[in-house]
Amino acid sequence: MTAARAAAVVGVVVALALLPQVAGPFWMGLATQMIVFGLLALSVDLLLGHAGLFSICHGSFFAVAAYTTAILQVRYAVPTALAAPAGLLAGTLLGLLFGLAVRTRGVYFILITIAFGYVVWGVAHRWSSFTGGDNGVTNVPFPAVGGLRVESDTDYYYLVLLVVALCALGYRVLVRSPFGLTLRGIKGSESRMRSLGYDSNRHLYAAFVLSAALASLAGVLYVYYNRFVNPVAASFPVSVEAALMAILGGTGTIAGPFIGSAIILGLRNWVSSFFELYATVMGLVFIVTVLWAPGGLVGLAARLRRRAARP
Amino acid sequence: MTTSAILQAINGTSLAALLFLVASGFTVTFGLMRVVNMAYGAYYLLGGYVGLSIARATGSFTLAIVGGGAAVVLLGYLIDRFLIRYTGENHLAQVLLTVGVAFVVGDVALKIWGGDSLKVPVPAFLRGAMELPGGLVYPTYRFVLILFSLFVAGALWLLYRKTQIGAVVRAGVDDREQVGATGINVDRLFVMVSALASFLAGMAGVVGGAFLTLYPGAEWEILIVALVVVIVGGLGSLEGAMIGALVVGLLDAYGRWLLPEFSYFVLFGPMAVLLLFRPRGIFGKEA
Amino acid sequence: MTLAVEVEGLVKEFGGLRAVDCVSLSVPAGERRVLIGPNGAGKTTLFHCVTGTLAPTAGRVALFGRDVTRLAEHRRTALGIGRTFQISNVIVDLSCLENLVLAAIGTDRRKWVLHRPVAAFPGVRRTALEGLDLVGLAHRADDPVRLLSYGERRQLELALALTGHPRVLFLDEPCAGLSPSERARISRMIAALPRDLTVLMIEHDMDVALGLADRVTVLHRGRVILEGPPGEVQTNPEVRDVYFGHV
Repeated sequence: MTAARAAAVVGVVVALALLPQVAGPFWMGLATQMIVFGLLALSVDLLLGHAGLFSICHGSFFAVAAYTTAILQVRYAVPTALAAPAGLLAGTLLGLLFGLAVRTRGVYFILITIAFGYVVWGVAHRWSSFTGGDNGVTNVPFPAVGGLRVESDTDYYYLVLLVVALCALGYRVLVRSPFGLTLRGIKGSESRMRSLGYDSNRHLYAAFVLSAALASLAGVLYVYYNRFVNPVAASFPVSVEAALMAILGGTGTIAGPFIGSAIILGLRNWVSSFFELYATVMGLVFIVTVLWAPGGLVGLAARLRRRAARP
Repeated sequence: MTTSAILQAINGTSLAALLFLVASGFTVTFGLMRVVNMAYGAYYLLGGYVGLSIARATGSFTLAIVGGGAAVVLLGYLIDRFLIRYTGENHLAQVLLTVGVAFVVGDVALKIWGGDSLKVPVPAFLRGAMELPGGLVYPTYRFVLILFSLFVAGALWLLYRKTQIGAVVRAGVDDREQVGATGINVDRLFVMVSALASFLAGMAGVVGGAFLTLYPGAEWEILIVALVVVIVGGLGSLEGAMIGALVVGLLDAYGRWLLPEFSYFVLFGPMAVLLLFRPRGIFGKEA
Repeated sequence: MTLAVEVEGLVKEFGGLRAVDCVSLSVPAGERRVLIGPNGAGKTTLFHCVTGTLAPTAGRVALFGRDVTRLAEHRRTALGIGRTFQISNVIVDLSCLENLVLAAIGTDRRKWVLHRPVAAFPGVRRTALEGLDLVGLAHRADDPVRLLSYGERRQLELALALTGHPRVLFLDEPCAGLSPSERARISRMIAALPRDLTVLMIEHDMDVALGLADRVTVLHRGRVILEGPPGEVQTNPEVRDVYFGHV
C-alpha cells in the first residue's frame, strides 16, 4: 500500500470516528447505514470482483440473519451473545444451500440467484405466523453481551465502525491470500485453472459461502441499528442495489463497495427529501453507471489519473 | 377432494398460459440475441395499464390488447435502440441496465395509475363462470385464457418450426454468426423478433391484468416466476418455455393450495433439482 | 517400460460429427511424440480427451498405467500433466508472476490458505520466478499479462505448462503464429527439456515437428493413418497426399 493511500485510509477512519462529535444524530445514523450496506456490497463484490460471479440474492442472507437475530431476541428473549451468532449462522447455512447455484455460470447463475432471492422474500412475506408478514419483527433491543451494553445510537455507531473495520482488514488478508488469487484466476480463465489442477466449482462454492457469511454479518449489524426488520430486507431491489454499489464504487477493491454505498444512500436521502420519484432516480443511476462508468468510480479515478499523467 | 385437485390443475394451467406469454418472449430474445432483459416484467405491467386505460375509454377488450401490445413494442424498440445496444453481450450490464429501466417504468406507472390494484375490464361474454364436463364450475375468463394461450403457442410454434423466418431464427439461436453469413439482414430480424416478444409481454399484461389485477410490484412478481419458467425449460427454447410454464404453473397452484405459507418453496424445488442434475434446463443449450 | 499415455479406441462425437474416430495410441515414458495432420484432423480434440477437458464418447484413457477415463480434469493434472493450449490461455488481468504462482500451487493444498497472503510463501514465489526464468520472461514478472505481446504470451503459456514439475507435457502448437526467431527459441527450449519428461506435441510446422520427434503419429479426419519414426513419415506418399492435395 502506498503512503498516500495509507494516509487516505487513516484520514477516512479518523473522520468517521470524529463524526458523532461534529455532526448530529441524523448524519450519524446515515453513516451507520452506509457502513452496514457497504459491508453487504463488499460481500457481493467478493464474488463479483474476485470470482467473476454476479449474485443477486445476497439480500436473502442479510435478511435471514436479521430475522433470526430479531426473532430470537424479541420473541424468545435470547441474549445477544447467542442471538447474534445464531443470525450469522442461519444466513451462512442458507449460503451453503444457495451455493448450489455455482454449478451454473453466466446468465444462468444470475437468473438462479434472482429466483432464490425471491423465494426468501416470498417466505418472509407469506409466512406471517412466523415472520410477521409485511409488518416484520419490531422492538429489537440494543445488543448487550455480558457486562457490555450498547446504551445509545452513538455507542452502536462505534461498535459498527469497529466490527466493519475488522472485517475490512480480514477481507484484505483474504483477497491477498492464495485462495483470493485462485478466485481471480478462475474469473480470468476457468479452463486454464482447471487444467492447472483447480477444482473450480469447489473454490467458487467456498467463496459463495464466505460471501454469504459476510452478508449475514451485515444483516445482524443492520437489525440492531434499525431495531426492526421486514420483508423489504430480502427484496430484489436490496440485492441488486448492493451489486450496483460495488460496481459504482469500483469492483475488486475494498473501498469501492463502501464508496458506492455512501453515494447511493446519500443520493436516496437527498432525493426523497424533495422528490417522490426515488425509484426513477435509482433507475437512472443504474442506467448511467452501466453506460458511462462501468469501471466504477474507483476505475474512473484511475483513468483520470492516468490521463493526467500522460505528457 | 378430487374436484379441488382438478380445479387447481386448471388454475395452474391458466397461470401457465399467462406465464408462457411472458416467458416465450424472454427466452427467444435471449436465445437469438443473447440479451437478458429484466424489464420484461415492467413491459407486462405497462402493457396492462395502457390496455386498461384503452378498455376503460373504448370498452373494447380487443383494442386494449392490441394497444397494450403496441405501446410495449414502441417502448421496447426505444430501449433496444438507445440503451441495450450499447451493452454488447455483457450480461451483467444488461441486467443492471434493464433493471434500471424497470425501476423507471414502474415508478412512472405508479405516478400515472396510482397504487391501487386495478383490474382490466373484460367483455360480458367472458365474465362469470361456465360449466365444464363433470359438473365443475370454473371462471369463464380463465378457461378462455387457456385456449387463447394454446392458440398463441401453436401459432408461435408453427412460426418457429415450420416457416422460413422461423428456420432463420432457429439457426440464429444455434449460431449467430452463421446467420449473418447467409446474407439475411440480421438487424432487421432482431428488431422483428424483439418487437414480437415485446408485443407478447404487453398483451400478457392486458390479459393477465383481467384476472390477476395490476399493482406496483406485479412487474417483479411476474418476472421472477417467468424466470423460473425459463430456468426450468432452458434459455432459448420455445418448447422449454411451454413445458416450463406448465410445470411452474401447476406447482404454483398446488403449492398455494396445499402449503400457502411455503408456496415459494414449491417453486424452489424444481430449480434445485434441476441444478443438481441438469443445470441448463430441460431443453437448454450450454450456458 | 512404463507407458506415460495410453489411449484405446477413443471416440469423440459432437452431434453427428466424429472428431476423433477410434484412435489408439501408446506413448512410453520419456518419448517425444509429435502429432501432425491437417486442420480438423482431431488433434486438439484428442488432447482434450486425454487431459480431461472433454469427456470422450467412447474408449479408454490411461496415464502412467492408471485408468483415468472417468477422472475429472483437475484430478488428472495432479498425476503430472502440464499443457499448453492452441490459443494462449493465460490470465490476462493478473501479472506473469501471479499466473505462475497459480501454476505452482495448482495441485498443492496451500491453494486453500485464506488467512495468510501469497507473499508469505517465498518458496512458491521462487518456483514461479524459476518458471519465468526458464522461458526468459523474468524481466516481465510484475507486468500484467494484458501488456504482453503475442509471442511473450506463448512463452508464458509454455511456462505455465512447465511449472509444477509435470511428468507429461501436452503442447498444442506451441509455435503457432510466432516469428522464425521466436519459433527457434521455443524449439530450443523444448529440445532442452529433461529426458524423463514425456512430451506430446501437436505441430503444423513439419521441420519443427520432425526435428523434435522420436516418433510421429499422423491423424486425418479423426483417424490415425500412420505412425512411425520421423524419417518414415516424411517420405510416406499417403502423408504427402493428405497434406498437399488429393484429400
